Amino acid sequence: MLHAFIATAPALLLLAAAVHAHTGPMMRPARRMVGVGWAALAATAMAVAGIVLLVIHGPATTPLLGWAGLGFSWRLDALSVTMQMLVGFIGWVVLRYSAIYLDGEPRQGPFMGWICATLAAVLVLVSAGNLALLMVAWVATSLCLHKLLLFYPERAPAQRAARKKFLFARVADMALLMACVLLWVGYGTGDIGSILAIARQGGGAGPFLNIAAAALIAVAALLKSAQFPTHGWLTEVMETPTPVSALLHAGVINAGGFLLIRFADLLLLTPGVLALLAIVGGFTALFAGLVMLTQPAIKTSLAWSTIGQMGFMILQCGLALFPLALLHIVAHSLYKAHAFLASGGAVEQVASIPRAGPVAVPNGMAVAKAFGLGIVIYLLIGLGMGFAFGFPPKSPQSIAMGAILIFGVAYLIAQGLADSAPAKLTLYTAASATMTAVGYFTLQGLAEVLLSTTLPATPPPGALEWTLMTLAVVSFGLAAMAQAMFPLWAYHPAAAGLRVHLTNGFYANALLDRLTGGWRAAKSS
Amino acid sequence: MITTRAQPTLASIQAAAKAAGTMIPPAWPLASTVAVNPFLGQAGLGLPETAALLERVAGVRVCMPRSWFEAKIDRGAITDADLAAALAAAPAKDRLESVTALKAMAKAAHRVPLALPTVAHLAARHSGLDWPGIITDRIGVWAGAEFDAGQALWAAARPPGTGPATGVVTSSSAYPSGSAYPSWRRFATHDLTPEIAGLQGFAARVQALPERAEEALEIVVRRLGLSDAALPTCFHAMLMSMGGWAQAARWRLWQAEMSGGTDDTLFDLLAIRLVYEDALLARYAALRPLWDDACQAHAVPVSPAEDHVVDAILQEAAERAEQRGLAALLAAPTTMAAPRNRSSLQAAFCIDVRSEVFRRALESVDAGIETIGFAGFFGLPLSHRRFGSSVSEAHLPVLLSPGIGTCVAVTPELEAKEAQVQVLARAKRAWKRFRIAAVSSFAFVEAAGPVYAGKLLQDSLRIARPSPAPDPAPRLDPAIGHEQRVATALAVLRAMSMTSDFARIVLLSGHGAHVVNNPHASALHCGACGGQTGEVSARVLAGLLNDPAVREGLADAGLALPPDTFFVAGLHDTTTDTVTLFDQDVASPAHTNDMAQLRDWLAQAARLARTERALRLPRAKDESDIAVRSRDWAEIRAEWGLAGCKAFIAAPRRRTAGRDLAGRAFLHSYEWAEDKDFGILELILTAPVVVASWISLQYYGSTVAPDVFGAGNKLLHNVVGGMGVLEGNGGPLRVGLPWQSVHDGEKLIHDPVRLTVAIEAPCAAMTDILARHPGVRTLFDQHWMHLLALDDNGQIAWRYAGHLTWEPAVPA
Repeated sequence: MLHAFIATAPALLLLAAAVHAHTGPMMRPARRMVGVGWAALAATAMAVAGIVLLVIHGPATTPLLGWAGLGFSWRLDALSVTMQMLVGFIGWVVLRYSAIYLDGEPRQGPFMGWICATLAAVLVLVSAGNLALLMVAWVATSLCLHKLLLFYPERAPAQRAARKKFLFARVADMALLMACVLLWVGYGTGDIGSILAIARQGGGAGPFLNIAAAALIAVAALLKSAQFPTHGWLTEVMETPTPVSALLHAGVINAGGFLLIRFADLLLLTPGVLALLAIVGGFTALFAGLVMLTQPAIKTSLAWSTIGQMGFMILQCGLALFPLALLHIVAHSLYKAHAFLASGGAVEQVASIPRAGPVAVPNGMAVAKAFGLGIVIYLLIGLGMGFAFGFPPKSPQSIAMGAILIFGVAYLIAQGLADSAPAKLTLYTAASATMTAVGYFTLQGLAEVLLSTTLPATPPPGALEWTLMTLAVVSFGLAAMAQAMFPLWAYHPAAAGLRVHLTNGFYANALLDRLTGGWRAAKSS
Repeated sequence: MITTRAQPTLASIQAAAKAAGTMIPPAWPLASTVAVNPFLGQAGLGLPETAALLERVAGVRVCMPRSWFEAKIDRGAITDADLAAALAAAPAKDRLESVTALKAMAKAAHRVPLALPTVAHLAARHSGLDWPGIITDRIGVWAGAEFDAGQALWAAARPPGTGPATGVVTSSSAYPSGSAYPSWRRFATHDLTPEIAGLQGFAARVQALPERAEEALEIVVRRLGLSDAALPTCFHAMLMSMGGWAQAARWRLWQAEMSGGTDDTLFDLLAIRLVYEDALLARYAALRPLWDDACQAHAVPVSPAEDHVVDAILQEAAERAEQRGLAALLAAPTTMAAPRNRSSLQAAFCIDVRSEVFRRALESVDAGIETIGFAGFFGLPLSHRRFGSSVSEAHLPVLLSPGIGTCVAVTPELEAKEAQVQVLARAKRAWKRFRIAAVSSFAFVEAAGPVYAGKLLQDSLRIARPSPAPDPAPRLDPAIGHEQRVATALAVLRAMSMTSDFARIVLLSGHGAHVVNNPHASALHCGACGGQTGEVSARVLAGLLNDPAVREGLADAGLALPPDTFFVAGLHDTTTDTVTLFDQDVASPAHTNDMAQLRDWLAQAARLARTERALRLPRAKDESDIAVRSRDWAEIRAEWGLAGCKAFIAAPRRRTAGRDLAGRAFLHSYEWAEDKDFGILELILTAPVVVASWISLQYYGSTVAPDVFGAGNKLLHNVVGGMGVLEGNGGPLRVGLPWQSVHDGEKLIHDPVRLTVAIEAPCAAMTDILARHPGVRTLFDQHWMHLLALDDNGQIAWRYAGHLTWEPAVPA
């Protein structure tokens, strides 16, 4: 049990770093930043040490510092160490970047301090062993982030966005708080490990309480993950230095997904809540993916991408594919952190587009061929790898998910099959499509194996699940077809209105601004 | 009240719109951006008049705060003599009674600049809703898509041609003129945001307006009750309120006019902005009296207030002080050794101020080294298609049109390689589309996301990405005739004042910057090459001058080059001060040892130059830090660009050699005695001097009015459409220089003074040229630049006093 205390180390290191940064000079705190950087690196190292201890001694929760089953305790398991390692690494990258990027800013010291504090809060959140600690860390993360979003407090757009974010965050807090209270009452303990163990056995509280708690957790997670129709706030928080965006999109935004994965055992007791997650997540994924296509500003486009990716991850949770959802969180965070930090390269990237000549547009026949090829690749690789490595037999949900992903890969193949594409291009795109497919089947297999003891297995689908899966496969398949044949229909006059509404994200922000008085200006005379 | 006012006719509205358009400077897309004078439209006005105009239309000040002048006076940087001279130079009506009075004004606070209100401003005060912000937001959402060069997969309209959006358009001919208003109309008639924000019926109102911009404009101008006299500054204010979008539209017009066409985007923008004004006035009818007042104020001619006049005099005094410093520097004794009979190396660099540091360093390495300053495109108006690319890109000053096409010389074995490069580029692009498209982006993340852990590590540890091998040598495409080749070579050599005493090695060095993750990277490249590096220009010229046939032709024309003279092209990396040589373009085994010697000299000079520059760069401890900074993805001040530029000197190098100009002077080599008909002088005054003034005034504008003429905070930059930046979520397009490019966090790195041009040439010759070029003359007459003449000893002797007259530089 005591070895679980290693889970406290990363957060403590960053908390110390936060104090260190806050007490130093405000401008050009060069020496302090060195210490802060080492603290983040050490936090990552401690997460790695956590993995070693986990492998040797197995999962555990520290003794409780608290009363009546509520208080502070830390949990060491595959989920917490994975998240800690991810957050520690992203934190180190972001802090190292900020040390140089913000050089000369009058308030660089406090900025670094708040980044450290936010990281510390997230590190506690992902390793919380008790509902009380989880709740405290959940709120602290949001409040620390709020400080960063208002790093330039005088900027009106920053206030406008932060106000919306604050509103949703407090609603999410309320939802999570109620969920925690219900769980504590229903299960008679605040210990998350115990609650999950009981839930895995079929539940210790009544079905009504389980459903209520799970629904509240789902609501908190959906709000935190900027899911439709509460997605607006995430697309407007570029009013603060780039590293904050990287931290938000690669660290903080995962809080919702983490919460769902953490309470996977509980959610499995409530198929209705899972269905809700699948529907909202799936819709948001498609919706945000389409909106992203219309966004000309790089950071805004990346923000929409995050909304979509979180939607996809929540769809995976809704289909009870929790290991895949965790894989998605990790993979997406690494990509998105890099994409934000490197977003200054957008000019050069766009400039290089026309140098490669006109874009070959595939026609309907090419697209059909591409989808056919995609399915062949899927069957060959999926089945082949199952035999070769002895991965556990796939659940129908997992197979459906694979099909959706292969529809995406078909787009790559389709680009190589366009009439005007030279044979070599066809070869290259087909090769990268195959490699992509191999890549994710390998990663999915690994995730399922590594997390098989921590996270519950996907249950056999019932009628509801089959319906959801069919819906998901059909809708993503249609969207993928539409995307592959994109330029052929997108400039039709009938699509013009759709494009405008999509550009505006279906007006979620406009309506919220109206409600929150976002465009209020000083009134005189 | 409205009925008594003469209603403007369509013709007068169109004329006023066109005139307002000329008030707006063009902004080049960031892919190949160049410095632009933000006061281009005000070149015919003096500083006080410009200040008054821009205060009215944009509420902006165009001079530094008084405290900046006060501090300079207090520490003696501006002397009483400078103040007296500036006072004397001011027009009679503007003169204050004494230097004492002027000094008192320097301590007095400047009034708060206030623009005349728009309907949006009045509506905001009336309703408590930020209408200017809402309009900026709506126009920004539409314009971001309209000007998108290829970021969004789903463009606002199918771009001309067959396929979908294919990205950067190097000439505006690709945009059908007059397409902006219909595109906005499609947007505005569907967009529900204004209704939600409180502008009910806006979409229907737009729908009810005519489809053509000029008809819509005529209607809204009438409804707004604007009189003819109010149009100029009212239109100007409307365009200014759209910030960089208006400037991007002005760029389309500029490009179209360069190729003899025209473009209506700017006109359309004006109409669009006024449609919002009209809708707001209809929404808040109570604003009519206040708006009528504003219209009447617009109808009053602009005239400067006392504060504007005082600012201009103080600004002039600050510039006089700089000129005093320059005169002293040129008069001081130097330690330069007398030149040898034949130099061992002649090295030509761009006139760019960054070359000055390197040239001084290189000359100090060996007494036999002579350097030359010339515009970095080496006089070749190139349009170049790079290796494996499908598009030609302009490599010349934006004031000129391309005259020579070039591409990479492709031998049979290279041909296969080029095809391979092209297919790889297309595969890479297909992968990028896969990465961002609607459904495939999920597959991308699950398959390739973990790879980014490696990229994060690589970039955080500043591990250099392998830099691609330089392109094979460029060639002229289509090939030009022998006569034209000789004529081109001859013209360039004469313009460089290189007609005799050739060294064995002549280095022709273009320049470019090496920075990563920087949207403004092209602004650090060669301005004379249209925001590209000078590599291609240097290599093309070296190829020409090494060609035996061209040399024969040159000899026939009376310019014989020594047979052992070898021209080698180079590229000066202004970030790291390394010079890459392209000595393999033309093999010359006889010069192998010379190349080794040259590389050694360049390496020594690079260390010296970096050491000097490290002192100015924040956090750089010594010269060894500089290379690491150049590949750091978080570094926003890898180099200072042209910050600090303040002088342009056209004279023989011996006048400035050995004198520390601190990387703040453009140096153009010029021997007036060899310039028989002053044709070269005319070229210098009309081309490089004008380009230098654009650079100097861009720095000036971005420093004194960063909110209007600067690109804002680099930490918030959000690249839009691959062509510009937004500050944060939205707002207007931001053009000009980012604040971090003129300020190091503690102090300004650029001292905002207008350019001092010092030329060693007879005053009469310069007068003659100015008389023939009114556009250039007005820049000097209105003090957007200062012109000084050097005497035969290279000392500042005469000052151009305006109206084609000269006065002694130091008042007797």
